[in-house]
Amino acid sequence: MKFAPEHDVPVPYMQRTRDYYRALGFEAPYRWAHYDEVPFTPLSKPLAQSRLALITTAAPYQPGAGNQEPGAPYNAAAKFYTVYSDSTDSAPDLRISHVGYDRKHTHARDPNTWFPLARLREAVKAGRLGGLTSRFYGSPTNRSQRVTIERDAPALLEACRADGADAVLLVPS
Amino acid sequence: MCHQTVGLVARHLEASGIPTVIMGAAKDIVEHCGVPRFVFSDFPLGNSAGKPFDVESQAETLDLALRMLESAPAPRTTVQSPQRWNEDASWKLDYHNLAKMTPEEIAGHRQEFDAVKAVIASKLDRK
Repeated sequence: MKFAPEHDVPVPYMQRTRDYYRALGFEAPYRWAHYDEVPFTPLSKPLAQSRLALITTAAPYQPGAGNQEPGAPYNAAAKFYTVYSDSTDSAPDLRISHVGYDRKHTHARDPNTWFPLARLREAVKAGRLGGLTSRFYGSPTNRSQRVTIERDAPALLEACRADGADAVLLVPS
Repeated sequence: MCHQTVGLVARHLEASGIPTVIMGAAKDIVEHCGVPRFVFSDFPLGNSAGKPFDVESQAETLDLALRMLESAPAPRTTVQSPQRWNEDASWKLDYHNLAKMTPEEIAGHRQEFDAVKAVIASKLDRK
């Protein structure tokens, strides 16, 4: 019998993060969001008639906010703190230097790996999807779950409703 | 943090009547949160939507997400993309792995952490 190697499993990010910050001197472990019940809403019409909204955690390029190039070190100055939106007809310049992606194994030179707008447009063209909302939305990533739940999530809901989204695709970077 | 954030947002949208699907690469964080629909790609963080410069990989990942929207039978449905990052899984041993760090590296990370905190604090103060 030939099994896969023991380490060939999804990376245990919560455990790695816990151990890492403890080694850095922080004793109290971060408490990750955790729920027992999960909401569920079925699609109300076929996808080919549905309008999809895209939510990203990538940041618009900010001139003057330091190195945001692919492979740049973690750049807290490039973070953003409120929900933003931009046209889905544009080709936005989005970067991920403000988040903890895997800088060793991800070169981050192809934005399509974290922002699938081009692929979504193709799906619309192919008739697989009814359409996209006129805007996509940027969600700030915040260590504070309260800020996300009480401020950012309601703002994103309002934007999705205003633009008539029938379904939403969310892509963390 | 990105994965937790989108998990919380997806839950809020879903509870308000809008179906959602998440594409992501951190399986434990998303499933620990508890979300309606999740397409998991077993790739390094930063590749939630497919492999770089690989349109086919990206299109297949999106197709899984769209099929999830159509057919997930219940909340907490996860599908793992059949794609592999590469044959060798050793990349999984690298991210934030203490076992691979020297004490000097750990001390350096602590200094970086403090510097980052200072940047964020100064930015929030100005708001």
